[in-house]
Amino acid sequence: MTLSALERARYQRHLSLQEIGVAGQEKLKAARVLIVGAGGLGSPAALYLAAAGCGTLGLVDFDRVDVSNLQRQVLFDSGALGHSKAEAGRARLAALNPEIRVVAHALELKAANVRAVLADYDLVVDGSDRLSTRYLVNDACVLLGRPLVSAAIHRFEGQIMTYVPRRGPCYRCLFPQASDGVVANCAEAGVLGVLPGVLGTLEATEAIKLITGIGTPLLGRLLTYDALELRFHEFRVARRRDCAVCGDAPTITEPHDPPAAAAREMLDGVRRLTPHSLQALLEPRSAAPPLIDVRERWEYDTGHLPGALNIPMSELAQRIAEIPRAGGAVFVCRSGGRSMRACTIALGAGVASPANLEGGLLAWAAEIDPTLPVA
Amino acid sequence: MSCTVRIASPLHAYTAGASQVDGRGSTLAEVLGDLERRFPGIRFRMIDEQNRVRPHMRLFVNSDEARDLAAPVRGGDTVHVICALSGG
Repeated sequence: MTLSALERARYQRHLSLQEIGVAGQEKLKAARVLIVGAGGLGSPAALYLAAAGCGTLGLVDFDRVDVSNLQRQVLFDSGALGHSKAEAGRARLAALNPEIRVVAHALELKAANVRAVLADYDLVVDGSDRLSTRYLVNDACVLLGRPLVSAAIHRFEGQIMTYVPRRGPCYRCLFPQASDGVVANCAEAGVLGVLPGVLGTLEATEAIKLITGIGTPLLGRLLTYDALELRFHEFRVARRRDCAVCGDAPTITEPHDPPAAAAREMLDGVRRLTPHSLQALLEPRSAAPPLIDVRERWEYDTGHLPGALNIPMSELAQRIAEIPRAGGAVFVCRSGGRSMRACTIALGAGVASPANLEGGLLAWAAEIDPTLPVA
Repeated sequence: MSCTVRIASPLHAYTAGASQVDGRGSTLAEVLGDLERRFPGIRFRMIDEQNRVRPHMRLFVNSDEARDLAAPVRGGDTVHVICALSGG
């Protein structure tokens, strides 16, 4: 794939690098990279790969731009609010570099479509915000033989690793199994806006190195970043011979959606309450179980159930002794995710038979009390 | 034997926000036992009822993964507790 005069001018600084030069830039032009998730990680990764002249860029995201995204998702500006992320991202990248082709995939990756979507790409950059997608993408990359650069973030901390088929461990070798109910996401835990800028840019760096064949990729090495201490750590990760997807006797031979019960396996011992079953438990008040609201203080102050004790997730470990060991404490939050994690923590600390309000106070407001303000 | 333990961000709630704490013990099991005494509940987040490292957690002594709780920890070592992160 030869470069036009315009492209030679645009990529001059790459062409001056002996390690890239015309041959490397032509490889970039021929490359087809899929970015999964146009969020905090996907934004800088997409911008730099587009600027670098990556010939075909696919953007997968089924979400729309929300005002709370703009603190870190630099692919979007205020004018994109409410628009499809994949489409708004495509427009922004096309404006940045009209020499490349950008494909918007405004869809949710699932077992049913992941093969078809990945088929048109040579390399995948994962910046999704849920573990189920991370495993789906990892498994598909292993099965289809696609290199994968995978990063993730939480509060002030990030991690990144690269997978190349048959050359090193995959994401599942590192973390054999995890589910979204157990690990907090950015919406609940918060994230320093510039953090994904660092990790997403590292992802783009890895992608460019893999495409041009220069340097040493993060194969079998997990790199972690602590923004508060400005410290990187590197860990050796070996391929697992018993890995379910890339091991010697794989049990995963097709991409699959996580079974609904996957998260539950780890959450045995937690009771699940609908808003109506919680309402029944709260009457009469004298026999009601302890009610723990694990949202942040400001959310609690906006509106809460009568008698609920506020112990924010961030304080739960220190204040666990305030929760009676018996009595079947009920945990609530906005939508049921944080409170489910609180249940597992309480269970581990010896609280007997904790219960989770499924769907959280949003479900309560929808089914029981529409006057309850839920932040 | 005293070592340094670096704690994954999702577990900071147990260590009053500290990302790094001191640990004591000559094996990983002893260091985790020591952590549990000072930060009740933290061990259960890393280790299941069968004494296995949970599949979304990884433990490293310095740069090397320790899959066995009997892994030795020497004075001055750093134990890293790493957790799968979902955010993007």
